[in-house]
Amino acid sequence: MGRRFIVILATIAVMAPCVWTQDLALKGGTILTITDGTIKNGTVVIQNGKITAVGKDIKIPRGIKVIDVTGKYIMPGVIDSHSHIGLTDINEATDPVTPQIWMWEALEPGADSIRKTLAGGVTTVKTMHGSANVIGGVNVTIKLRYDRMVEELIIPGVRQQLKMALGENPKRLYGSKGRSPSTRMGNAYVARKAFIEAKEYKAKWDKYNKDKASGKKDLTPPKKDLRMETLKMVLEKKLSIDCHAYRADEIVWIINFCKEFDIDLMQLSHCIDGYKVADIMAEAGIFYGGWVDWWGFKEEAYDGCPYGMQIMHDAGVKIVINSDSPVEGRYLFRMAAKVLKYTDIPENEALKMITLNPAQSLELGDRIGSLEKGKDGDIAVFDKHPLDTTTKCLMTIIEGEIFFDYTKESITAKGGSR
Amino acid sequence: MKRIIHFVLMVFILYAGVNVFAASNTILIKNGTIVPVKGGSISIGDLLIENGKISKIGTRIKAPKGAKIIDASGKYVYPGLVAVMTAVGVTGYPGAGNDTDEVGTSTPHMDPYDAINPEDECIEVTRLGGVTTVHTVSGSRSVINGKSVVLHLEGNLADKMVAKRYVAQIINMGAKEQNKYPSTQPGVVSFLRDKFNQAKEYAKKKSEKDKKGQKDKTKKDKNDTASPAKRNLEMEALVPVVTGKTPVILITQDEVSIRNALEIIKEYKLKGIIRASSGILKYADRIAKENIPVIWAGTTGIPRRWEPFDLNYHTAAVLAEKRILFAFDPGGWGLGNRNVRDIPTSASISVAHGLSEKEALKALTINPARILGIEEEVGSLEVGKTANVAIWTGSPVQGRSRVETVIIKGNLIPMTSLQTRLYEKFKKIVFERMKKKK
Repeated sequence: MGRRFIVILATIAVMAPCVWTQDLALKGGTILTITDGTIKNGTVVIQNGKITAVGKDIKIPRGIKVIDVTGKYIMPGVIDSHSHIGLTDINEATDPVTPQIWMWEALEPGADSIRKTLAGGVTTVKTMHGSANVIGGVNVTIKLRYDRMVEELIIPGVRQQLKMALGENPKRLYGSKGRSPSTRMGNAYVARKAFIEAKEYKAKWDKYNKDKASGKKDLTPPKKDLRMETLKMVLEKKLSIDCHAYRADEIVWIINFCKEFDIDLMQLSHCIDGYKVADIMAEAGIFYGGWVDWWGFKEEAYDGCPYGMQIMHDAGVKIVINSDSPVEGRYLFRMAAKVLKYTDIPENEALKMITLNPAQSLELGDRIGSLEKGKDGDIAVFDKHPLDTTTKCLMTIIEGEIFFDYTKESITAKGGSR
Repeated sequence: MKRIIHFVLMVFILYAGVNVFAASNTILIKNGTIVPVKGGSISIGDLLIENGKISKIGTRIKAPKGAKIIDASGKYVYPGLVAVMTAVGVTGYPGAGNDTDEVGTSTPHMDPYDAINPEDECIEVTRLGGVTTVHTVSGSRSVINGKSVVLHLEGNLADKMVAKRYVAQIINMGAKEQNKYPSTQPGVVSFLRDKFNQAKEYAKKKSEKDKKGQKDKTKKDKNDTASPAKRNLEMEALVPVVTGKTPVILITQDEVSIRNALEIIKEYKLKGIIRASSGILKYADRIAKENIPVIWAGTTGIPRRWEPFDLNYHTAAVLAEKRILFAFDPGGWGLGNRNVRDIPTSASISVAHGLSEKEALKALTINPARILGIEEEVGSLEVGKTANVAIWTGSPVQGRSRVETVIIKGNLIPMTSLQTRLYEKFKKIVFERMKKKK
């Protein structure tokens, strides 16, 4: 399975530069670069899908399509590193350990949720397995190229993340079936058992490959196990982890667990209690993934606290605002504005929470998340500052190609009532 | 020496306490932008609160003796927001604490008044968001759910919080049962017809018996044959609904349930209010013509595949244009949603997509007050109204605007909640731990 996935990624890598890129220049807008301040009355040039120039007084190369965005705001395309859009299925809720599941095999590029999300300036999402299982499936990071081929959506070369989930969801699901895990102890056991097994599996294969390489004859290869193949990739750091953990004790637990097995934990999702252990998260370099002000919708979410973002910010935790739903995924910029309501975090840092920070949590910080020369031409255009909550997205551009145009798709623009 | 310090401290504390007590009745907000919602704004204005009521609005109001003065320079003074269809006060703690949604397909006699917990943490969290009045319902998952109550988010006892009881009966047009009647939309409609017919019959019989009883009494008949009708609490709760005395909120999900709700309202001459989360625009003209108020819970809902992305975002603008009386409902994750303070998000989105800010503010304040029948008391800043006031750093439709002062029934509210306490607690813990590591 792992090899097949890599083959697909290789195909994409070869196909990517030539198929869908376009040249485009946006002229006259206020550019929120995220990494290099705000440029008034600036220009962004995209060639071959990459940003080739950002700034004032930029000479636009001849023959390039120019869009006048005078009076508008330009920012990097919004990134949602915890989404479930574009999937035909979300939870393989039949066993607490299902790492054999690869979410790109549920990816439906023509899904309406992708189209509706584009209207919110979103260009990249990590669309994920659900939280039914302690070890779920492998998530897939995609660009929202609505209705194209699967290969055109998956970002080439990106290290994908395996979904893990702790707490109430696996407990409730399997507990209600009279199965284990039905407690947090059970969750911990299930995860530990799977990774111990994976280590043994990896050792067997490593030995076999070593023996084979040294020319030994009459070797019998160990039995293939698709679940173990994926976990072996995690142990080899070909995959990383995104773990759903609400409570502070679980956050600390999974950080220690990943240290114990020497595996890479990138993001903690729905990290409601993150602020309580902000120092520990910062030290481990784990991204906070979560909402701004949701709280109390279940027991483990009771201590949700929007002011807590200030603690995390001051402690040095990188914060990512996620939607977890096709609803809020369409207006993450409005969620970012609420950060300013509850904390003294600066505007640009709030914008980072939906751009550069999620880009980094996806290990794509050098390719997306800010408007810089050499980065992908992923752009969202707004009619007002994106942190003004009466703003709306006017245009969403992926690698120089327009995927959403307000004037074409809006009923408000048409003045229609039905 | 220590004793003297203690004594001075005590005197100071007592003095301060008395002072606060004296001031709690009279508060003067000075030099803020007063946005009364009804009528025009005053750019540098004052608002005086006396005995729990707004007593004066204007400029350069002289502070009465002992009044607490709040400087609102550069700030905005709005009426407290009014949230409809909440579970504030009855959600309690997660798990065992939840008291919404009694078992049964028809439970009109359930009254959230009987389960209001003034210590519900949601009360403090909600009012810190500038929401001062909420409409709390008994449930929403059954066909006939129960009564509802309006609460001011201040007071240590349920009775002190209650602004109005028996506000509206809650009916859900889409509450289909599984594996039992009614399991379809037409089933729900005929289930309702049955109940309403029974209630009318019950009301008729009761009034006949009452009349007969009266007659017999006037005859001074010693062998009073008119025994009182056997009480049926379910029917008693439905009588004010079918006689048009108590309004009824009909929860709808789609155009089918909206049509059914409109038909039921017409057929039984109900004082109907439609709560809609989608499909409302198709019936907007009829709703406007029949003068039916709308609780609009669909702003953040996702339109169907073939519909434009901003159909729901734009809906409030159309409702306002057609002069339909409507209020925002945060919707979200339904009745168990504790994030009631987030109602301005629906307003923000609607303003981005065509609604005027003025109409958006009305839909968060005076419109819900009118729908709930408490517009004489709250929903705008007017002399004589209950002093439910919030001072904001900007418009509520701006996600970044903060609420700095909340006044409910003339009482200055401490700006603390479960969440501010958690913040203070863990700020200390986290940074002390970091210091030790260094």
